Amino acid sequence: MNLKNSSYFRMATVAVALLIAAFIVMILVGVVTHSPPAVLIECLLSEEIQFAIRLSIITSIISTLLCILVAVPVAYALARYTFPGKTVMNMLMDIPMALPPLVAGVGLLLFFGVSPIGKSLAAAGLAFVFTPLGIIMAQFFVNLPYMLRVTRSTFQGVNPRYEYVAKTLGCTDAQAFWRVTLPMSWNGLLAGSVITWSKGIGEFGAGLMLAGATRMKTETLPLSLFLNMSTGKLEYAIAAATILIMISVVSLYAFERYGGATHVY
Amino acid sequence: MLTIDSVSKSLGEFSLSNVSLSIEDGEYFIVLGPTGAGKTILLETIAGIYTPDAGRIFLNGREITDVPARERKIGMVYQDYMLFPHLTVEDNISFGLKSHRADPAFIRGKVQESADLLNIGHLLHRYPGTLSGGEQQRAAIARALVMEPEALLLDEPLSALDVKTRENLRAELARIHEATGTTIVHITHNFEEVFDLADRVAIMRGGDVIQVGSAEEIFRKPNSDFVAGFVGVENLLRGTGSSDGTVAVGDLQIRAENAIPGPVSVAIRPEEIQLSKAPLSKNGRNVVFGRVDSVRPNGGLVKVSVDAGVPFRVTLTRQGFEETGFAPGEAIYLAFLPSAAHVYSSEEEEA
Repeated sequence: MNLKNSSYFRMATVAVALLIAAFIVMILVGVVTHSPPAVLIECLLSEEIQFAIRLSIITSIISTLLCILVAVPVAYALARYTFPGKTVMNMLMDIPMALPPLVAGVGLLLFFGVSPIGKSLAAAGLAFVFTPLGIIMAQFFVNLPYMLRVTRSTFQGVNPRYEYVAKTLGCTDAQAFWRVTLPMSWNGLLAGSVITWSKGIGEFGAGLMLAGATRMKTETLPLSLFLNMSTGKLEYAIAAATILIMISVVSLYAFERYGGATHVY
Repeated sequence: MLTIDSVSKSLGEFSLSNVSLSIEDGEYFIVLGPTGAGKTILLETIAGIYTPDAGRIFLNGREITDVPARERKIGMVYQDYMLFPHLTVEDNISFGLKSHRADPAFIRGKVQESADLLNIGHLLHRYPGTLSGGEQQRAAIARALVMEPEALLLDEPLSALDVKTRENLRAELARIHEATGTTIVHITHNFEEVFDLADRVAIMRGGDVIQVGSAEEIFRKPNSDFVAGFVGVENLLRGTGSSDGTVAVGDLQIRAENAIPGPVSVAIRPEEIQLSKAPLSKNGRNVVFGRVDSVRPNGGLVKVSVDAGVPFRVTLTRQGFEETGFAPGEAIYLAFLPSAAHVYSSEEEEA
């Protein structure tokens, strides 16, 4: 009786899982196989898509590096030290993740376009509004929380006693971090970087607001998809979407692979 | 000489309150206490991981209270080894020497020497994850010793190991202490380690050091119910001491070497009581008549409960039990020397 019940239950749950898996595969394959291969290749090699690929790769790499640069010290402070305002700070750092990217984009646009700080930055040559620099800033702002969360939990996973031992062996705090905690966190940092980079490649809303959607200027892959879709150039949109799908699949694989291998010491 | 002078430290649920200890040069000092007694904080405070809230620490005449861990010349070994997993055994051992930018040939020599001392010369190229627990602990000890520390702190170094490895490494620790003469502070909750290793022992509870002495003293002359219970004194009798050297426990008059007037506890180790079916002559001993309550075999030992007005627990060897030969309900005589009855004032006990 029990066995029968559980086997029906098992069949039902597995059936739903299969159905959803099939749905996902259909969606992805539908995009990738929409254009005949020759057309797809032609679009991929077109100047516009090539530009979008280049711009996406460059901006996402730079924004990911910035995220790493900022997330490592911040995550370490949040993981290891106690200081006043830490709880509030922890929440604050996560807000950009919960925010709709369009809202983040409006905020960034106001800050860099209208505020005195933004204006003086622009006057000093750092113009973020409607420029590729704005794309980097948008990706950085929206994706930092992801990098921060992965990095923070990676550092938390390293027993502080490793650092204690390092200090009794002659290390300063900074040396203990460089020689012990950082190398032990390598897998986690790699996984965080991959996920941050792939989110950077796909960033749309905040970038649209801050950097605008100017063909061949601020046209990243998602913007290219959006622009070509709205002007009816479906094959170009498909080409951009195909690349985005490939990047997602590969980076997800890398994240699972390295993230999954992250040892909690 | 390592001197801890009235050190207090509070860290949330764990704390040290006004701890003072004086550890001689070259001494093997064991700190014994249950989980949560503050043993690890004590070591980490000595090592310089934490700065005390109050009190001072001296090592060989220099005050190290505010000296950073890296300059203290104190080595630390944890229960879970804490070998750096991304480095080979060799690189783990040389880690500290490299912090001081020593000459590579010198480092190699030192690492080899230290590895040989711990019998892990053949493991130098392995990563910690591929070693057994005992091998990892040897590597961790080598890593600390290679720095030639003025004091070596061991935080439950044997607790994570299986019984056989633990025995081997216990013998190794005694040998290493002998060979290097390093002052060692070793914390544990396992009384067995005390007899093989310790010159002296401190018992800790709730952030306080409550008794310091040789293993023999702690074992036979506990100063409180807590220590008595911790070291396995199963007979704790409440009574009233008088100045004639006896303690009244119920209807019994127990002669004790150090009887003091007033409310006292009498601690008698279960293995120091002799049992006999025939009446025993006193010969200066305490002789008590009772009835066997229960007989419980326990490995090579037999644990016997006797009701003599007050309950007594007696531990016999299996052979001793078979020679005497008795069963529950039978009448029995108990005998123990006044020196086996250790008396301490009950008034010192906390509520």
